[in-house]
Amino acid sequence: MINYLLLGSINVTSLLTVIGIVVVLAVVFAILISVVSKLCAVKEDERIGAVSEHLAGANCGGCGFAGCADYAKALVEGTATLSDCGATSNEEKEEIAKILGLPFSASVETFAVVKCAGGNNCKDKFSYVGNKGCIEQNAYMGGKKLCPEGCLGDGSCASACVAGGIKIVDGVAYTDKALCSSCGACIKKCPKALIELIPKTAKVYVACSTKCRGKEVMNACSVGCIGCGLCSKNCPENAITMVNNLPVIDYEKCSGCLTCVSKCPRKTIKEI
Amino acid sequence: MAEFIMIIVSAVFINNFVVVQFLGICPFLGVSKDFKSALGMGLAVTFVMTITCLITYPIYTFILVPLGIEYMEIIVFIFVIAAIVQMIEMALKKFSPSLYNAMGIYLPLITTNCAVLGVAELVIDHGQIASLIGLASPDMMNMGFAVLYGLFAGLGFTLAIVLMSGMREKVARLPINKHLKGFPIAMILACFIAMAFFVFALV
Repeated sequence: MINYLLLGSINVTSLLTVIGIVVVLAVVFAILISVVSKLCAVKEDERIGAVSEHLAGANCGGCGFAGCADYAKALVEGTATLSDCGATSNEEKEEIAKILGLPFSASVETFAVVKCAGGNNCKDKFSYVGNKGCIEQNAYMGGKKLCPEGCLGDGSCASACVAGGIKIVDGVAYTDKALCSSCGACIKKCPKALIELIPKTAKVYVACSTKCRGKEVMNACSVGCIGCGLCSKNCPENAITMVNNLPVIDYEKCSGCLTCVSKCPRKTIKEI
Repeated sequence: MAEFIMIIVSAVFINNFVVVQFLGICPFLGVSKDFKSALGMGLAVTFVMTITCLITYPIYTFILVPLGIEYMEIIVFIFVIAAIVQMIEMALKKFSPSLYNAMGIYLPLITTNCAVLGVAELVIDHGQIASLIGLASPDMMNMGFAVLYGLFAGLGFTLAIVLMSGMREKVARLPINKHLKGFPIAMILACFIAMAFFVFALV
């Protein structure tokens, strides 16, 4: 009934005039625009289209350009290099190198890990009530964590990840190896620079970045590295060296025996 | 002749679109960082405003009013503006790529610039425009006045954005407080310019 009344109140002739005028205007402007676009056609390098077909198309922004199309343009102009993109597979990069006539060497496939396991295990200096976001929190006295290199847990990395591969669990960020395309977008968002790319073949990683001494770490965090060096001493391949009281793993030497994981008294070195 | 002078003074100074009527603030704050792109933006907006008045005024007066469908004005005007901006974008890309790059996102945003739609809406309102430019009666309003008003309203926009860019260029080199650097100081400068223009309304 209501529908019938509404239809009855519409004047069909004026409706047709309105539609007619809009259609006429649309046609006129469509013709004008197409003429102008013919007159003002700008020759674009056709390699740009060919290159962007081979890119991952994730538009993650990890390369530092406004998107894959912008990166493709920069590649053709020579202002960017292929290694800037972490999301495109090696086979596709080889194709792009062929198009551009560049030499190309395959890079090791990597993924991101968060080098902190603090979160709720690490004590707070104060309770933070300001704006959400790690950069904002870090601007205020370096964030709430007692450890100056502790993950703030506000998830700026997680919101930067286009694949949804980062989750905040118990106040600390964790990456998902399966989802990570190693674009590097999260690395740029972390004010503490806790996120690092490691080879996909890696079996272990050091989940701590603290620069504090052992006693301070004991006080602040239950999973922080105290720099005891047990991992380094016990590694059968000598793949671990201590740098600034933190273990650094040489993934070329690491055989994945997991000795370091079992020896670490603080469970700082984690198995992937 | 007196009417022409009144149009110039009214559109450029007394009823300046940006700092008195507060239309088109987005490009005014966004593209006023350096003099060159501000001038380019101002001239692009001026061009769009003039052409818009030139096209929308006859469409309204000779098509919409006789057919009694004045309520279609906004849809039709947006149509016209969008098409003009499209064409300008393509022309700029061809003839001045550096200006095209400097304007960036603000160039397609002229489409939704309220100053442009504002001038198109203003010139068809005979009563209001006649009182703004001091015409004796609303019936004196014609297409020539409409296009002139569009042109000078655009030039008023250009004047405001160029003044702003000059001040911002100077202020960028001053040792001002860290918290005021960049956008905050631009808001304060916009306030000064608005106050300066407000004096014309008091005369």
